[in-house]
Amino acid sequence: MHMKLTIGNIHVKDVVVGSENSFKDGVLTIDKQAAIDYLMGEDDHITELDIVIAHPGDDTRIVPVIETIEPRVRMDDRCLFPGVTGDLVPAGEGELKAFKDCCVTVVGKEWGSFGDGVIDMGGEGAKQTYWSRLINICLVGDTDEEFERHEQQKMNHALRWAGHRFAEWIGKIAKDLPVDDEEVYEFDAITKREAPKNGLPNVVAVLQPQSQMEALGYNDLWYGWDMNKYLPSFVSPTEVFDGAMISGSFMPASSKWSTYEMQNFPILKELFAEDGKEINFIGVIMSNLNVALDQKERSAIMVRNMALNLGADYALVTEEGYGNPDTDYVRCMVILEDAGIPVVGVSDESNGRDGLGQPLVVLNDKLNALVSTGNVGELSDLPACATVIGNLEALNRDGMSGSWGYDEVLGKSARDDGSIIMENNNWFCGNHISGFAAKTIVEW
Amino acid sequence: MVKVFERAGYPIVHMCNLIPVSTTVGANRMVPTISIPYPLGDPNTPEEEQWKLRYHRVGVALDALATPIEEQTAFKVKI
Amino acid sequence: MAKKVIYYVNQFFGGIGGEDTADFEPEIREGQVGPAMAANAALEDAEVTHTIICGDNFMGSNTQEALDRIEKMLEGKEMDLFIAGPAFQAGRYGVACGNVCKMVGEKFGVPTLTSMNVENPGVDMFKGYTRMMSGHNAAAQMRKDMAAMMAVANKMLRGEELGTPEEEGMFHSGRRIEKFLEYTRENTAAYRGVQMLIKKIKGEPYQTELEIPERDVVPIAEPIADLSKANIAMVTTGGIVPVDNPDRIQSASATRWGRYNVAGLDKLPNREANGYKTIHAGFDPAAADACPDVIMPIDAMRAYEKEGKIGKLHDYFYSTVGTGTTESEAARMAEEIIPYLQEDGVDAIILTST
Repeated sequence: MHMKLTIGNIHVKDVVVGSENSFKDGVLTIDKQAAIDYLMGEDDHITELDIVIAHPGDDTRIVPVIETIEPRVRMDDRCLFPGVTGDLVPAGEGELKAFKDCCVTVVGKEWGSFGDGVIDMGGEGAKQTYWSRLINICLVGDTDEEFERHEQQKMNHALRWAGHRFAEWIGKIAKDLPVDDEEVYEFDAITKREAPKNGLPNVVAVLQPQSQMEALGYNDLWYGWDMNKYLPSFVSPTEVFDGAMISGSFMPASSKWSTYEMQNFPILKELFAEDGKEINFIGVIMSNLNVALDQKERSAIMVRNMALNLGADYALVTEEGYGNPDTDYVRCMVILEDAGIPVVGVSDESNGRDGLGQPLVVLNDKLNALVSTGNVGELSDLPACATVIGNLEALNRDGMSGSWGYDEVLGKSARDDGSIIMENNNWFCGNHISGFAAKTIVEW
Repeated sequence: MVKVFERAGYPIVHMCNLIPVSTTVGANRMVPTISIPYPLGDPNTPEEEQWKLRYHRVGVALDALATPIEEQTAFKVKI
Repeated sequence: MAKKVIYYVNQFFGGIGGEDTADFEPEIREGQVGPAMAANAALEDAEVTHTIICGDNFMGSNTQEALDRIEKMLEGKEMDLFIAGPAFQAGRYGVACGNVCKMVGEKFGVPTLTSMNVENPGVDMFKGYTRMMSGHNAAAQMRKDMAAMMAVANKMLRGEELGTPEEEGMFHSGRRIEKFLEYTRENTAAYRGVQMLIKKIKGEPYQTELEIPERDVVPIAEPIADLSKANIAMVTTGGIVPVDNPDRIQSASATRWGRYNVAGLDKLPNREANGYKTIHAGFDPAAADACPDVIMPIDAMRAYEKEGKIGKLHDYFYSTVGTGTTESEAARMAEEIIPYLQEDGVDAIILTST
């Protein structure tokens, strides 16, 4: 009894737009007009779409970035994101093929919002995000969603869904291609495990995806379900890899997990790598993040009891966010430690621009094993790039979390010469709390 | 902020939803509120209910300012 | 080519005189004065080209002007390192060294170094802004403090990475900054986290990346003796402002605050009535825009004032935005608000947060 997910990887050397879909000698060609026709046909709220390719090392700045997704195909032809791009069907087992080393990057042509971010493909800014290491297949668009045009918080529904459909549409090109390598994830039913795996320390991952917007439509979705109206559940890590969860539009960009990160969740992959060797990986308690104290406490209690009843000996906890979500993160770790389940936590910090601020909004001396992936407050001051995909003015105008239109000392974020000054908050998934981050925090 | 005011000698009560945050930032007198977007009145309830809640909790805060305490204290509220 | 160091001393160590000359205005001299001579002798491949002298009183009572003048003096001068002190336990001198080092670091991007005793108030104020040696409490120990400081100075000038604060005899800066690692699997947060967990499981030593600092507690203020005579002020970090946000308070990472007169108001008029709204970016503003009293409960306070439970509601409420706002900014804003409270004889404060 187990869930087995096989992901066949096809490495992409280059992506070009053309007039047919093909993959030859590592070059993925996308039929641009056909893609646009398909995506606009699926959603009449989209008024404008373009497809632009950005390569690692290009002198290119992409902003406002809304979402990233890995192009994939399910060999059984079902949708990639159950309950989002197609029928609600179980995820977590079966065969997939994935185009590696590239991502679909959803970009607002004109308008940004609080949770949107920036990617620099070259120069000093390229070290800030993992996306700078991938070929970005940018889907740049605008919509008629007038109700939120000038809102700081946007659902960005039409463009986000277009991104997921586009990843699926590109993925179909992989269907009959040979794969370069294969990742296999086998999650055995936890009551049917045998030695030697059974007998190793039982480790559970606790994920706290972003779900703090009480208005629906902005939060991460689990099988299409808004996680604000959700309580912690026990799930298989393979479900996370297989599109059961998609990213939302709320939370400062650098602390988000994009859908690409969920599809490839590095922390879960590293737990699989030790499964049967050092640990017995008993799965994921998929929790959430809340606003009110009683909601936070309820989720923490449910995580604790689920961990106890699963027989978890140790836990690894991670949150999609900082600030208010730190209360959920710290509470969850403390309640587990108090229940005799030692914890490691992975998150970023908010030390302010001067690095002297309190790193998490709640601190507790029971937290003795933490991984830090960045400081949301650090400033980046970077020269103009030759090419901008999207609209630099969004930095000044649209209430993105790490930039501003006016500051008496620093001036505006997007300067007239194309150079920018902004907080780490704005780098799209820049702190890569999901585990991609090759960055830490040290004392100066 | 709370600490700076208190250090300057002002008794201060922090009304907030997330008491653990308030404890971490070093507030000594705390009164819980009901949520972050609407600390003192749930818009899904009648205005009269909102007023009763707000009046009650602000009253608890005022009493807290006149109450001697030995350690960080979150005062209890009834509604 | 030898590197260049510029040195800062007060009037006493600058040989101007004692307390009676503490108003001495800042001056820059070529070459080395006072401790700068010993420093120069201890430098390996660098020289102290200039010494700045400033009286502690002048710096203390005209801080901004003194710093502005020193900034002008330094403009255009070559400088690889800036050194101030040692200040031992001399409070004004320690704060002056800290102020000057902070200014030089910020304005010129040049590394700075100073030394003072743990009891010096300059330690807590400036250890995050300059390299700071943990020095002795009196000038009798000048030789020791100078030797320790110059060992670090030589390392800094060579561009060597410094050891831990304990190894170097420095204070912890408390400042946390990002460090980018080479992009390898072993350096990813995922790998680091899972390996840390395995070490924790096996009981092997591991290094957490975030040490939880000790909690800073404030002495509990005395309660109000008689509420019915008390003047109570309201403060909020929930971003309640007049609809046109006249003080341009930022909706996150705020550095500005405002005070708004509510004398005679029985409740706050809402956004629709062209009254007040919230500009806080961290939550759905609908409830507070419809009824600002849910964050800034002027209505309840006024009712208690009318009933006589409190003596008076202070005529102004004070507002800023709490999200992403650094502790140092929040502390500064509180310091700026306090004089207004003192002026009106405020007795106690209610601070509401979202």
